[in-house]
Amino acid sequence: MTMILGVPAAVLFGQLLLGLINGAFYAMLSLGLAVIFGMMNIVNFAHGAQYMLGAMTAWLLLTYLGIGYWWALLLVPLMVGASGLLLERFVLRRLYRLDHLYGMLLTFGLALVLQGLLTNAFGSSGQPYSIPAELMGGRNLGFMFLPNYRAWVIAASLLVCLTTWYVIERTRLGAYLRAATENPMLVQAFGIRVPRMIMLTYGAGVGLAALAGVLAAPVYQVGPTMGADLIIVVFAVVVIGGMGSIMGSIVTGFLVGLIEGLTKAFYPELSSTVVFVVMAVVLMVRPAGLFGSKPEQAQNHRQVLDGASTSPRTQTIQFLVMAALFAAAPLVVYPGFMMKAMLFALFACAFNLIAGYGKLVSFGHAMFLGTAGYVSGHAAKSWGLTPELAVLAGTAAAALLGLASGWLAIRRSGIYFAMVTLAFAQMIYFVALQAPFTGGEDGLQAIPRGHLFGLIDLSRPANLYGFVLAIFLGGFYLIMRVVGSPFGLVLRGISDHETRAQSLGLETERFKLVAFTLSAALSGLAGATKAITSQIATLVDVHWSMSGEVLLMTFLGGVGTLFGPVVGAFVVVAMQNYLAALGQWVIVLHGTIFVLCVLIFRRGIVGEASLLLRRWSARPAAAAHPAAALTPHRQPAGH
Amino acid sequence: MDAGHALQAKSLSREFGGFFAVRDVDFTLHRGSIQAVIGPNGAGKSTLFNLLTKHIAPSSGEIFHEGDDVTGLSMPALAKRGVVRSFQISAVFASLTVRQNLELALLRPAGSAWDLLGRVTGKRAIAERADALLERFELGECAESLAGNLSYGRKRVLELATTLALEPRVLLLDEPMAGLGREDIGRVTDLIREVGEGRTILLVEHNMKVVADLADRITVMVRGRILAEGPYDEVSARADVVAAYTGQGHD
Ligand SMILES: Nc1ncnc2c1ncn2[C@@H]1O[C@H](COP(=O)(O)OP(=O)(O)OP(=O)(O)O)[C@@H](O)[C@H]1O
Ligand SMILES: [Mg+2]
Repeated sequence: MTMILGVPAAVLFGQLLLGLINGAFYAMLSLGLAVIFGMMNIVNFAHGAQYMLGAMTAWLLLTYLGIGYWWALLLVPLMVGASGLLLERFVLRRLYRLDHLYGMLLTFGLALVLQGLLTNAFGSSGQPYSIPAELMGGRNLGFMFLPNYRAWVIAASLLVCLTTWYVIERTRLGAYLRAATENPMLVQAFGIRVPRMIMLTYGAGVGLAALAGVLAAPVYQVGPTMGADLIIVVFAVVVIGGMGSIMGSIVTGFLVGLIEGLTKAFYPELSSTVVFVVMAVVLMVRPAGLFGSKPEQAQNHRQVLDGASTSPRTQTIQFLVMAALFAAAPLVVYPGFMMKAMLFALFACAFNLIAGYGKLVSFGHAMFLGTAGYVSGHAAKSWGLTPELAVLAGTAAAALLGLASGWLAIRRSGIYFAMVTLAFAQMIYFVALQAPFTGGEDGLQAIPRGHLFGLIDLSRPANLYGFVLAIFLGGFYLIMRVVGSPFGLVLRGISDHETRAQSLGLETERFKLVAFTLSAALSGLAGATKAITSQIATLVDVHWSMSGEVLLMTFLGGVGTLFGPVVGAFVVVAMQNYLAALGQWVIVLHGTIFVLCVLIFRRGIVGEASLLLRRWSARPAAAAHPAAALTPHRQPAGH
Repeated sequence: MDAGHALQAKSLSREFGGFFAVRDVDFTLHRGSIQAVIGPNGAGKSTLFNLLTKHIAPSSGEIFHEGDDVTGLSMPALAKRGVVRSFQISAVFASLTVRQNLELALLRPAGSAWDLLGRVTGKRAIAERADALLERFELGECAESLAGNLSYGRKRVLELATTLALEPRVLLLDEPMAGLGREDIGRVTDLIREVGEGRTILLVEHNMKVVADLADRITVMVRGRILAEGPYDEVSARADVVAAYTGQGHD
């Protein structure tokens, strides 16, 4: 048997082939994302779900109607693409005047809805889809065995990618598309119906995802979650390649697949994280991405913040009222619920510090919650530290992680920032899955609560409640002070107009990094305390869905408002507790709330309530606030 | 380099994908003077400003401030040296109140920008300076309005006030009169002349009356290059300048 660098040649080539297959899917999906983004400025988070929908539809057609692979290859992209047309026409079209992030949030919600619905209907386990008879078997190439179907996938995806590239870069239609991206008004003036063109582009992008799904059906297990993890890797691919060029996404997709394959052959432990390591390196040396020509333009936001209108005195009074309510709550509410909700509220407030006031919306905040949980759990269990030291250790770990990931992530802003943080969080997830001290799938169990300062026994319910209450209130108070401080003012100024802040001599990157690190540390504080309180630390807290939950809490309660995240956290935790019997429907509900928040409820509960209050109050002139939470950015479509 | 020059550019160029917005420009801003850059739309005036303040990096060439090479500095670093600019498209912090806009500018010089726990309202010196600026720029009655809700003219005035809050030694103003009514123009002209005492000012302006009123020297830019330079009367009389400015000339 031939060996290459200590690895059998057949294994190496096998892994490279597998990498090429994965790369084919990365390429097709990141290509679709790039086309949609270029045209509509929407990061289509639902892309993974639409890919999954493609595979599921193919499976359904086969199972229930007996329609085979070749017909599916034709029909499924048309069907799923048509759903994309409707989605664009009736939902996404309302978002073009808003910040790009709303598009990402909305499609994230849609992805949750799709995934939840299909899990309800068909269960979460994967279904096999057999290879069509024509492509069974394979051939021996001498150095390796090449299954026919895999050869077909690579050939077909190359064909699809290159055709798309050709259409966009080399044909008249593509020229119109590109011109419409640059200057919709002008193209409109030439008699081209831009809105319809955008609708068709989105439909085509979605169809492309579905086509990838059909191609993938015989290779991977067909199941409702097959798109979720994939889309995160595709985001990393997009950050690596830069969203600037079509060819760039194709090349990067295949490249990343090959790198993964190589890693699997030589150092399998790293194979699931290598993409993210590559992303970190690229961010360090070429922040705009390998093929990105220019860094994205800073967007100028406009948002009305709660903190601007309430005086420090009112805030302090509100804070004291909340403290009193929460202290008395165990008399009427189940204390376990209160503690859980308070810790999530702290997490959401920490997230809001950077997302609401710094306007850097992270999609990966779970990494801080989860890491701190593991570290404090480990410290309490294996090192025998007292709870306050264990919590401190967890918080410090989260702060360090925040410093490192923030240092890389703040090189990009807006949607790229969201994708970078999401990708880093996924890397931490894989580390947590594999690292020896996290307990893998089982997590850390039976973490001792111990004695606070060696004196106060936390296994007594009243003590534990007091401990959690003190941490929540302390964390909240700190955030309240920071938001109202000169530093907080600078942070809000930077999120309004970064360039202007720089021209006033403020090193904006440093401010953002400190705010991000602080937010990470406070998220860690919540996670560490949660581990001690609940006595477990599991993968749930580092999973991307947890990052989604904190987004949900914050946006539902009111992003950029002081008390909004608290309200949002209580609502979401209550939903989980009391609607637990609904199972996967809770995910559908979460997704629906996301969609509604973005479409009609952008200020969140607290934001809308305080607006109503202000409108109600005597001074009518004071109500002349800008209507949307974030300013119109760019408008690809005409009216 | 000569320390008598507030800002100096040496064969400065900036290219955007093969197109030179600024090409091989040698330019001197004399200390203590008020100078103006004029030129037709797209001549590269704003790009020159962006280069001089390091908002964008030059493709080639050097920049000196008071004799020091500052080509490698960042925009905040230059601002700390006292080189501050305003923007052609009015740049205010829209979600902050007018007063907060001024306070924000005052924080750094007061050394409070990194205060994470204090209260902005608790800083006496900053509050007093903000009050003085509000009064001087007649922004008192809208002090508590959100800057994003101001009229265009008010925004420009606020931007100027914010810029001046830093007590800059070198001030670069990109079309400070754009969008202002006649009355405001008169007032802002007076203001600029007033603050020009003891400072160096460079402005881009399309309003020739303002330029004639204020500027000691003018520089005419056309297509990324400097066409003419000198006192207003002398330069504005040149036939090639008139031709370039009215867009009738071809060279
Ligand atoms: N970021 C950029 N990317 C590409 N081209 C640019 C960029 N910035 C400026 N340009 C181009 O450089 C040229 C000079 O622009 P600039 O804004 O400096 O002109 P200006 O003299 O300030 O004009 P105006 O009087 O209209 O403000 C223009 O043709 C413009 O299109
Ligand atoms: Mg200009």
